[in-house]
Amino acid sequence: MNHQQTLITVLLLLILGTPARSGSAAQQNDQKWFEDVTHKAGIHYRHHTRRFNNPYAEIMQGYTKLGAAVAVADYDRDGFEDIFVTDSCATCKNHLYHNNGDFTFTDVAEQAGVASGNDEENASSGALWFDFNNDGLPDLLVVRFGHSILYQNMGNGKFRDVTKAAGLNRYMNAIKAIAFDYDNDGFVDLFFGCYFQPINIFHPSTPRFFPESFEDANNGGGVVVFHNNKDGTFTEVTDRVGIHTTGWTLDLGHGDANNDGNDDLYVANDFGTDRFYLNNGDGTFTDKTETAIGFDTKKGMNADWGDYDNDGLLDIYVTNITDDYMREGNFLWHNNGNLTFTDVARETGTYDTGWGWAGKFFDYDNDGWLDLYVMNGWVSAGKESYVPDIFAMITRPNVDFADARNWPPIGNKSLSGNEKKRLFHNENGHTFKDEAARHGLDSTRDGRGIAVADFDNDGRLDLFVTNADDEPFLYRNILPTGAHWMGFLLEGTKSNRSAIGAQVRLKANGSTYLRYVNGGNGFASQSTSRVHFGLGKATKIDSVEVRWPSGLKQTFPSLAVDHWYKLFEGQSTNDVQPWEPKR
Amino acid sequence: MTKKTFSYLFAVLMIVATQLAAASETDYQAGMKAIAVNDFSHGLHFLELAVTGDPENVRYASEYRQASIRGKEFDRSLKFFEKVVADHPNSANLHLNFGFAYVDKIPVAGSITQVILANNALTEFSKAVELQPSWLAYYTRGESFLFWPKIFNRASLGVVDLLKAMEIQKKGPRRSYYVKTYIALGDGYWKTDDLTKARAVWQEGLKEFPNNEQLKNRLALQGDQLKSAIEDQFDPGKRVDTDLRELWSN
Repeated sequence: MNHQQTLITVLLLLILGTPARSGSAAQQNDQKWFEDVTHKAGIHYRHHTRRFNNPYAEIMQGYTKLGAAVAVADYDRDGFEDIFVTDSCATCKNHLYHNNGDFTFTDVAEQAGVASGNDEENASSGALWFDFNNDGLPDLLVVRFGHSILYQNMGNGKFRDVTKAAGLNRYMNAIKAIAFDYDNDGFVDLFFGCYFQPINIFHPSTPRFFPESFEDANNGGGVVVFHNNKDGTFTEVTDRVGIHTTGWTLDLGHGDANNDGNDDLYVANDFGTDRFYLNNGDGTFTDKTETAIGFDTKKGMNADWGDYDNDGLLDIYVTNITDDYMREGNFLWHNNGNLTFTDVARETGTYDTGWGWAGKFFDYDNDGWLDLYVMNGWVSAGKESYVPDIFAMITRPNVDFADARNWPPIGNKSLSGNEKKRLFHNENGHTFKDEAARHGLDSTRDGRGIAVADFDNDGRLDLFVTNADDEPFLYRNILPTGAHWMGFLLEGTKSNRSAIGAQVRLKANGSTYLRYVNGGNGFASQSTSRVHFGLGKATKIDSVEVRWPSGLKQTFPSLAVDHWYKLFEGQSTNDVQPWEPKR
Repeated sequence: MTKKTFSYLFAVLMIVATQLAAASETDYQAGMKAIAVNDFSHGLHFLELAVTGDPENVRYASEYRQASIRGKEFDRSLKFFEKVVADHPNSANLHLNFGFAYVDKIPVAGSITQVILANNALTEFSKAVELQPSWLAYYTRGESFLFWPKIFNRASLGVVDLLKAMEIQKKGPRRSYYVKTYIALGDGYWKTDDLTKARAVWQEGLKEFPNNEQLKNRLALQGDQLKSAIEDQFDPGKRVDTDLRELWSN
């Protein structure tokens, strides 16, 4: 082989042998960046909808296909995020999937003491990890139609039920909970979103417990707020803080809309008007719905906050119902910076996701722009449609919608079923392009919740998806490496220890990217509380500024990309080393 | 009754009718004048008097609704038509405009109220067809059937009505607004999955009305683009033009 031949051979080897991670753009455009590893990971237990045993059971069946929820946290502090998943039938167990660190999981719910979330009088509907006692260990709230349960994390792999001692033993038909420190006193508070009003839906004493209207129902469970007393107990403060809503709440989302250091609240209500509450900074909220977003008549299902256009202001994504028979369209509320929002869902291509459920912002391709993954589909059953039945009721004169007996049973009919999930790729903050089919994320199951987390700490965000009455999905992100990233685990000292509400502004590429620690936003799901940045081609950053909930601002100098970092409130900003999991 | 008495009574009735019509026209003019300066309170009041005084006048009822739209007085309009229709249950014109008043409110209503409004409109349009099976009544009801989601299988009913409207229009002198029947009937065929017939009707319409952009556009589009154009036409969030001015200006 002469020199020329050698050179050609080397070049060929270089070209052909180039691993996928640095492949050409053309190759990358054809590649699938998510792998369904549900079964391989041992995390495939299916969800079972609650069946009721009361005179309205056949009717309730059509409206309670809920409860497939997921919450993510590293409960044992081994550096790998674990997954809690709810089931809903009376005899079904909830699951705590311990992350083994190799993309396999082991269900340890029974040993940990958190499996029993369902019985004849309670149905699991949601879950939330939050550190209510600031001991550095995520505790677990199992949200239920009935009495929710607060499990204290004992730090030895076991949990104990402290609901009564914490003052949370209250009957609520809760479906969502988020935790954030609304008064910045250093401890996170608890916000419940409740669907039905607090009557016993397992044995209703009245048939009038359904929504009184399809567009402005106010006979739902609304929002209930508990203030953290810092001693392991909570006090209900809903009225005191100025949250007055009795809508059919399906989701809650917090975020700082005006960057004043106080997190505001978006309430997504089914059958009526969503609500926007401005945090006054004195422990109270003001209802700013009219000026901020206006009064809608849609079916709000989800409220996730994220700065999709990198303008330094958090925007909000809300799913509604969009189908042949009901064209509500979603809301992508663009934050105008003056406590008003403009819906840009049509313009951005995020308007139609069918019968929407969870929708989560995350940067799956590490290009620095927040993408969106959206669940959808209500009931996928027989070929016959339920739409004519429900419309026959709607068009009947003077019908009392609140009376469950007037609602037609769904039987084996379908309603907005078999809908394809949407993965919206953010095209530089202007529009979104659906890439779900390309990445194999376009399942037609009745999706509900989405948890975004980096289960193998490789800087690529993975997905866990719950499906009603079906197996979940665990999608491993196998994006070819090349796009850079950086991530942070934040721990407060003066602020709440889990740093919920902390904002991180990272400067690179001549841009400033805003991300923040959220306390469980998104329908039927809680994503990681770690803060992740995609950096695209940037091999270095200029700085990172953390604005802690206490008000402290710290600027960290340039850190090396492609690492996770653990930052403590008030620590020296020099000599910050990359974080590695314990195992 | 003698011939003389009858003639006398007829003359009296004619005088009263003429006076009422004149009064209605005066009210109508006063109403339009007020509306022109955005005085909706007075404008709608006078237009209501005009419609009450001359229930069969298409122009009065139509202008009243258009003024109600501009003044965002949808509920007032519905309440008014409910009353005059009750007072004149055999007026096809009033039933038709009552139906349009429901349609006028659809874009500002929630998605479920839209269904209720559309259903109520359809009921009124059907009464108009029963009372006076005119081109306008058949075209209106036929077009309204096309707005319903596929699941309700109402597009085929729309096709039936639009064919009747087409039959009527082909018997009489040509009117510029008859192009609407070609567009809608084609859309109806498209919605019932008969693209061949849809294109044939649009083609026929284009021969009759060679400058019509909507027909040209439909014939130029295929597949998803055509679907998108037609779906856009039937988007319940968009206001349907219920202005009947073309009827008396052509």
